[in-house]
Amino acid sequence: MKKQQVIVMGGGIIGLSCALELQRRGHQAMVLETKRCGGQASGAAAGMLAPYSENVEGPDSFFRLCLESLQLYPEWQRAVREISGESFEYTESGSLYVAYHDADLLALEGRLLWQRQYGSTGMIVEGDALYRMEPLLTGEARAALYTPEESHIYAPHYVRALETACRRLGVQIYEELEQLEIVEWQNEVVVHASNGRFFEGDQLLICSGAWAQHLTDTLHLNIPVYPIRGQICAYEAESRPVSHMVFCNQGYLVGKANGTLVCGASEDVAGYDTTVTEKGISRLLNWNKQLFPFLEKQTPFHSWAGLRPATQDGFPLIGPVPGTERVVLAVGHYRNGILLSPATALLAADYIVDKQFSVFDDAFLPNRFI
Amino acid sequence: MHTDSLTIGGRTLTSRFFIGTGLFPNPYVQKEAIKASGAEVLTFAIRRINLASTEDDSILQHLEGENYVYLPNTSGARNADEAVRIARLARASGLSDWIKVEISVNERTLLPDPIETLKATEQLVKEGFTVLPYTSDDPVICKRLEEAGAAAVMPGAAPIGTGLGILNPYNLGLIVEEAGVPIIVDAGLGSASDVTQAMELGVSGVLMNTPVAKAKDPVRMARAMSLAIEAGRLSYLAGRIGKKRYASASSGLDAFKLK
Repeated sequence: MKKQQVIVMGGGIIGLSCALELQRRGHQAMVLETKRCGGQASGAAAGMLAPYSENVEGPDSFFRLCLESLQLYPEWQRAVREISGESFEYTESGSLYVAYHDADLLALEGRLLWQRQYGSTGMIVEGDALYRMEPLLTGEARAALYTPEESHIYAPHYVRALETACRRLGVQIYEELEQLEIVEWQNEVVVHASNGRFFEGDQLLICSGAWAQHLTDTLHLNIPVYPIRGQICAYEAESRPVSHMVFCNQGYLVGKANGTLVCGASEDVAGYDTTVTEKGISRLLNWNKQLFPFLEKQTPFHSWAGLRPATQDGFPLIGPVPGTERVVLAVGHYRNGILLSPATALLAADYIVDKQFSVFDDAFLPNRFI
Repeated sequence: MHTDSLTIGGRTLTSRFFIGTGLFPNPYVQKEAIKASGAEVLTFAIRRINLASTEDDSILQHLEGENYVYLPNTSGARNADEAVRIARLARASGLSDWIKVEISVNERTLLPDPIETLKATEQLVKEGFTVLPYTSDDPVICKRLEEAGAAAVMPGAAPIGTGLGILNPYNLGLIVEEAGVPIIVDAGLGSASDVTQAMELGVSGVLMNTPVAKAKDPVRMARAMSLAIEAGRLSYLAGRIGKKRYASASSGLDAFKLK
């Protein structure tokens, strides 16, 4: 296939990953970002690569995509490091999903039953074994499901490295464009920015996360993506008091190599407002001290919010827009954008270059919403 | 005309739809779907709730300010003792004194254990709870639960989350016939037609979660289910026609013949 000029709308983790993959395959990607790259959900993420803990019901298509992406990560993050020359934390810590009641054990066992068939070497740990893994964990913990395969990444550095990698390979990145309008997408691709500039290409890849719903009329396609505000706070912690990613029924805690302990996430529906609210953060403080009592005496030094692109059925929209060969969507990754970045990049590039999906069924096709 | 209302534990309900709050793809869809369902009774697993601070809970916080009846459930409990223990926790948190007893031992089928369910029901009734046990579709156990003081009895249509619909309509019909308390079909329904079928069998309401939460469009499905409940209920009250082997003209041909 001749070298394609691909316009990528959105410079978040998904847009940058797709641009990098397209450029690696010999095409020319051009990233258009209304603000700054990685400035929204991407930079706000806690960076958990945790398909087993995030999908507790069963091995549906979404879980399989998440798992595929987790398995791509070692190789993918190595490539991003090599190309960018930058480093970022990637810690294969494993995770603990903590249960408070005997009644949780049935659910954890049910989860193990199917997750073992999909690469988990997980086990239920309790008593001394559990407190050896996390000495500061509450005495109220009944047991936990330990999943060694899960890892985490420091999202702000990862997204910065991705941006550098893109630039080094020759991806053109335009930021601060304020507003973008798709002028033409059927016979050619023309995007107009509010600074008056026109961008032209052969293909258009839309990675604008929670903002993609605004393209419903332009593309004659129902794009049910909504912003869900996620609020997170972080503590300064000297000696990594929590060594695994620790989940409970209310949220998670994850210790980062830079000495911070990140606690998330408090979700609510607030439109496109990214204000941090007292209520949102106090919710986190109310449960996290139950999980780790030492937090009772600590105060977070930082809190922030990001808009997660949620969809009507919980699955992302990845694939072609009907009625044209030129437009592909990759939006709606909700809580799993960081995890899904490599798998999405490969899927979107496969489609743009080969016009086909190789691995997955049609669960993510954008035309599934009537 | 006499109003067709449903009263459980002394509370008259406006809707025959009991909805589970779990499994929704995100808080926005959850909230909109619950609104579209018109449901007044909401159920959730006690073990998933932050009991120390229920108003801050990651699920319940999205439902603030509405006049719902909370029906916490003991899902995950494997025997009567565990179920009773978490029921007490739920009541102590100030959530509700309604309780859905749900006791399963097999993690693959999650089918209810009727013997432990009966024990837990007896105990919780004694302690003053309004008890709605989830049980198998066996007419005898349903009657025993009623005799134990259950405010309503909730037989399953099929195993939880399977969407298989009503596997044994004959049994369900018998359960309704025998019952002196409301019968709510809980678990296993998949589509609006399943729901209508249940209502036509004469049950007082349905409890669902997966068929709504996991639909491609949960908000639309919540509305569909709510209409199905209404249609099924009206059809039950109106009384269906008997089945005949051969056609009979609906136009009343004889009436138009010139004589």
